Amino acid sequence: MIGYLAQRLGMMAVTLFAIITLTFFLMHAVPGGPFVSERMLAPEIAAALNAKYGLDLPIWQQYLNYLGSIASFDLGPSFKYPGVSINSMIAAGLPVTLQTGLLAIICVVALGVPLGVIAALNRNRWPDTTVMFIATLGVAIPSYVIATVSLYVFALRLGWVPTFGLDDWRGYFLPVFALSGFWISFVSRLTRSSLLETLEQDYMTTARAKGLKPGQILFKHGLRNSLLPVVTVLGPVVANLVTGSFVIEQIFALPGIGRQFVLSITNRDYTAIMGITIFYAAILMVMILIVDLLYVWLDPRIKLTKAAA
Amino acid sequence: MTQTVLSVRDLATSFFTRRGEVQAVRGVSFDVRPGEILGLVGESGSGKSITCMSVLRLLKTGGRIKSGSANFEGTDLLSLDENALSDLRGNRIGVIFQDPMTSLNPTLTVGEQVMEAILRHRSISRAQARARAVELFELVRIPSAAARLKSYPHEFSGGMRQRVMIAIALACDPKLLIADEPTTALDVTIQRQILALLKDLQQRLGMAVILITHDLGVIAEVTDRVLVLYGGLVMETAPVRELFAAPGHPYTVGLLGAVPDLRDDTHRRLTPIPGSPPNMLAPPPGCPFAPRCPHAMTRCLAELPPLFGEGHQSRCWLQHPDAPKVDAVHEVAA
Repeated sequence: MIGYLAQRLGMMAVTLFAIITLTFFLMHAVPGGPFVSERMLAPEIAAALNAKYGLDLPIWQQYLNYLGSIASFDLGPSFKYPGVSINSMIAAGLPVTLQTGLLAIICVVALGVPLGVIAALNRNRWPDTTVMFIATLGVAIPSYVIATVSLYVFALRLGWVPTFGLDDWRGYFLPVFALSGFWISFVSRLTRSSLLETLEQDYMTTARAKGLKPGQILFKHGLRNSLLPVVTVLGPVVANLVTGSFVIEQIFALPGIGRQFVLSITNRDYTAIMGITIFYAAILMVMILIVDLLYVWLDPRIKLTKAAA
Repeated sequence: MTQTVLSVRDLATSFFTRRGEVQAVRGVSFDVRPGEILGLVGESGSGKSITCMSVLRLLKTGGRIKSGSANFEGTDLLSLDENALSDLRGNRIGVIFQDPMTSLNPTLTVGEQVMEAILRHRSISRAQARARAVELFELVRIPSAAARLKSYPHEFSGGMRQRVMIAIALACDPKLLIADEPTTALDVTIQRQILALLKDLQQRLGMAVILITHDLGVIAEVTDRVLVLYGGLVMETAPVRELFAAPGHPYTVGLLGAVPDLRDDTHRRLTPIPGSPPNMLAPPPGCPFAPRCPHAMTRCLAELPPLFGEGHQSRCWLQHPDAPKVDAVHEVAA
């Protein structure tokens, strides 16, 4: 177990290094830079700015400098906002994104899985068709449509919730709904099909033949064996939701990191792009590791073994 | 008057599929007496497994019991409510399934799977249930029983898994054990071991057993009485010796003719039964075996014969007092 974890962490470091390198050079390969804007800067000011941020150095030297600062967990200063570090930028945006993201994850698990179970247990009867009809809509309709329509109906027309911001607890409803709608639908469909497959397994008949109560049969024998594919998608979903959505944060005017990430790209804010990419990659890899560990817990046939060298 | 453990009357079960109603079981009646091994024999699709799964109401999706009764210790299993029936399953009636590779839950230890059956029906502590599980593993001769409780099914061989299934079925000392092709998925040497184990346990624990199989060798070896099923109907029922000595139905004769005899040096060819089983979406009005029967008469195709005889019964018009005398055994073997 410890050997396995050590190996996985080592591989994560390698992956992260590759991501940093690729992103760095791709980013610099794109024409333009942080100080190129419609309003032309005086050449001497541009040169001074470039010198201040080290952009006048050869690219390989910039790369090495950047790696050096990363090694000390410093993601560098923002090019766009003077005096603001990327670390503090993430620290400011992350709580907002985390709050909505975690609430959305809770909704995905707490609604998606039970709805899928209800649908599977009532196969081809009205609860199933109702849930699957809504879930199909949820998968098909883009989140920004859900966001804008619900904003219009519930905030503007009915006035039940504020139109933007999270100052009021009611402000959470629409962003969380818009963020989780697709994944609730996706997870409920996945849970349904997976559980239906499990229910037809021979060991489910064995469980019934033992005289076990329906609840025991469903949760102990059925659901646990059906959750593997659900857990598989939940890993990346969690990484996705806690790193925010540009569209949703834009529509609801939430100062989260999803929005900052996209703005940093249009601004060519090099360090911000790098910082948020690294942050997202790290969270994604940690989630995948957690999923792999959950597999072992869910299915004892899966064993943790170090990859054959 | 011999009492019965299980008394099934006029059981009919169908599967409702897109192509229509598959009449898997069409009015099967039989009794299981205390302490006997009753063999249910027939080819695939004859309705032997469906008959037993209907009795326990463990049918898979699409299956529905249309009529009949199954009296077990004074209660009709087919009209009992689900809750009361689940009190009997795994408790008074144990079941062993065909494929031990898929019948155990891969994500739970075998110990847990035995213990949950005990804990469901007995008010005892987990420690006591564990002790009982060890006892059961020893009973079915799983070596180093206590240590093996913590193993998962994938760490066992097929034969060992079937022993675990038997331990689960016997967890609460059932009065009746239903063994649905318990040896079909195992290789031949393991088949022998499992059969010997079943026979031994049946005698020691004094329970009644319904043994479903398509293997006449298994029937000859362990059963006391036999029910021959074909096309969802009982074709013949007899004590095992009588069935082999004097089969009364041409189908049984055909089955016996298709069994190889390794002690026979005359290089007799095996005699297969020509044709294929009836389509149960539209079963024939007469005897379901008539289209394949060498002795079929006009009446056989038109009218379903009743079961003739007492004790040794055959569903064949040849058993009618006015029927022409045919030496069925001789003709098929020739």
